[in-house]
Amino acid sequence: MSPEHIFGLTVSGLTVGMIYALIALGYTMVYGVLQLINFAHGEVFTIGGYIAASTLIWIGVDATTPLAVKVLYFTVAVLVSLVLTATLGWLIERVAYRPLRGQTRIIALLSAIGTSIFLQNMIVIIFGPQPIIMPTAIVPTGFVEIFGARIRILQIVIIVVSLLLMGLLTWIVKGTRIGKAMRATSQDREAAEMMGIETNLTISFTFVMGSALAAIGGFLVAMYYGSLQFNTGFLYGLKAFTAAVLGGIGNIPGAVVGALILGLAENWGVGLSLGVLAWLLVAGLGLGLYFQLVRAPRQRISHIADEFRTPAYERQVRNVYRFAPVLAVRTLLSERTDALVHVSAQHALRLMVGNIIIFGLAIVFFASGDMQFASKWQHVISFVVLMAILMFRPSGILGENIQEKV
Amino acid sequence: MAEVILEVRSATKNFGGLKAVNNLSFDLHKGEIVSLIGPNGSGKTTTFNLITGLYEPDSGDILMQGESIAGLKPGQIYARGISRTFQMLRLFSNMSVLENVLVGMHGRTKANVIDCMFRTPRMRREEEASIVRAREILAMFPGRFPLARHTQPAASLSYANRRRLEIARALAGEPRLLLLDEPVAGMNPAESMEVMRQIRDLRDAGYTILMIEHDMNVIMGASDRVIAMDHGIKIAEGAPVDVANDPAVVEAYLGRRGADTAS
Ligand SMILES: Nc1ncnc2c1ncn2[C@@H]1O[C@H](COP(=O)(O)OP(=O)(O)O)[C@@H](O)[C@H]1O
Ligand SMILES: [Mg+2]
Repeated sequence: MSPEHIFGLTVSGLTVGMIYALIALGYTMVYGVLQLINFAHGEVFTIGGYIAASTLIWIGVDATTPLAVKVLYFTVAVLVSLVLTATLGWLIERVAYRPLRGQTRIIALLSAIGTSIFLQNMIVIIFGPQPIIMPTAIVPTGFVEIFGARIRILQIVIIVVSLLLMGLLTWIVKGTRIGKAMRATSQDREAAEMMGIETNLTISFTFVMGSALAAIGGFLVAMYYGSLQFNTGFLYGLKAFTAAVLGGIGNIPGAVVGALILGLAENWGVGLSLGVLAWLLVAGLGLGLYFQLVRAPRQRISHIADEFRTPAYERQVRNVYRFAPVLAVRTLLSERTDALVHVSAQHALRLMVGNIIIFGLAIVFFASGDMQFASKWQHVISFVVLMAILMFRPSGILGENIQEKV
Repeated sequence: MAEVILEVRSATKNFGGLKAVNNLSFDLHKGEIVSLIGPNGSGKTTTFNLITGLYEPDSGDILMQGESIAGLKPGQIYARGISRTFQMLRLFSNMSVLENVLVGMHGRTKANVIDCMFRTPRMRREEEASIVRAREILAMFPGRFPLARHTQPAASLSYANRRRLEIARALAGEPRLLLLDEPVAGMNPAESMEVMRQIRDLRDAGYTILMIEHDMNVIMGASDRVIAMDHGIKIAEGAPVDVANDPAVVEAYLGRRGADTAS
């Protein structure tokens, strides 16, 4: 297992992760403003790719088209797809969700699933059941060699374009008026409305932006894999939704983090043999031990109120983390402990168990070092990652967008 | 007497069979502080929700400066110059202190996405003006919002400062009428007195204030007039001392307390 191979897998993981992120952002933003999971979002993604691809097919590009003209066609296809898909997103909210606002959540959820099925059928009706093939002439085909690994130029394009889009989104959300309205609306819609924010407009804008990002995601996937099917969006939507939950639903940076973790886990998981994964686990164990022995006790000690701070007390708290199994259990079993030590002991035990699990897995992986997961395992891996992380952090890696209501 | 700024005319609001506000009428005059008092559940917050458009009255009418506002959307009523604070704080807690005040100004600024994209001069002027105004408003609470605090998330503020920030956010709407729902709830006596003084300053600066309050010191010390409610009905109205000694009011508080201990 060469470093080049690992680097190549990392780039593939980032590429797929970026695409997941573009879709996941739509889920998470809509969840933020409406507390609704827009199940039709996966189809919006597919349709974005379909529109871009069929625009190019309709224009007719082939190998003889000069580069400048190709760039022009490419731009036209992106614009057409952006406009139509954003309009579709806007329409979905107006037709499928807004009339049901104020009803129970399950009704909105049914409407979301219905819309998803409806759109899938519309794709089949309009574009036919066969997959749509991206004109290969428009796709950058070159390779570059980085650290000895052959990287497709398209992968770099995907990563760079996604990063630019995320930068743009961050700026819109953080730096503009409508972004402020979005954040206010997602924290407390009623209060935002009472401050004169047009929440309906803001919600529409959220759908438009999410759909535009998904459209670009669809286009990128169509270029990356060469084709799209009417149901491609189902799996991508599900993965992106998983990524959004992983990062903390409603949390915008969380969606990106979750998506990248998922993309990397999938590619490392199926591309590497267990022996290499074991080394990753060792790195994870190092991080875990650092947490247990250094970070966590230091943080806990900084919470001691000044009037209680004595060296002996600090040592007691630190020891709970150092000698976790023995001392922590004894602390938890003894009758009289003060609250801080008790909480620390529980925390230390949890960290300890996590580290032991990682250690055990690393041993098992080392023992069967040559084994490799077949690529059929890809989806299994992503859901195992999801479950594992949610078990320790139910609200996702960066935490949910918490609603504060009266 | 100064001009009437708000008229509530026989407003009624039912929740199922419960008449939370029942045939309620009162006037507010420009530049006065009126306290709305009454036992828990007597309909005070519901009255606020009616005035600010969160609920529409089932019958009756509400007039702001002579024009009916019943049935308008909350945002429209806000634009007409009525802002409020909430009994349970409802700040945008992930947003910075300054941003919270800026959100309060949202309806007054016009820049759209296109303006933002191209950072048009109009938009930049407007943005700078809003920030200057927001800092001015925060400076109305001397020592409470130093510059370094402006960029911190609202959630990081102390409880009393969060209550102050809610008032600041309400002021950002440049209201003529300010509705304060229990502005000193949870504050210690010194903090309460400070807020009370601030409320009086606001009145002297020309704002009209309707507040829901339980703290007797604040009610007596700050209000020009008191309206007492019970079971959604107005049971007394007048000078603070008169209302506090009104037999119906005493009865409402004592009667309810008796019922509370029984339950
Ligand atoms: N949205 C609502 N739905 C049903 N009942 C409500 C609602 N809001 C208030 N009420 C009821 O109306 C009555 C008055 O409530 P409220 O105006 O909050 O009282 P106060 O603010 O004086 O304590 C209470 O009995 C309360 O339970
Ligand atoms: Mg109340």
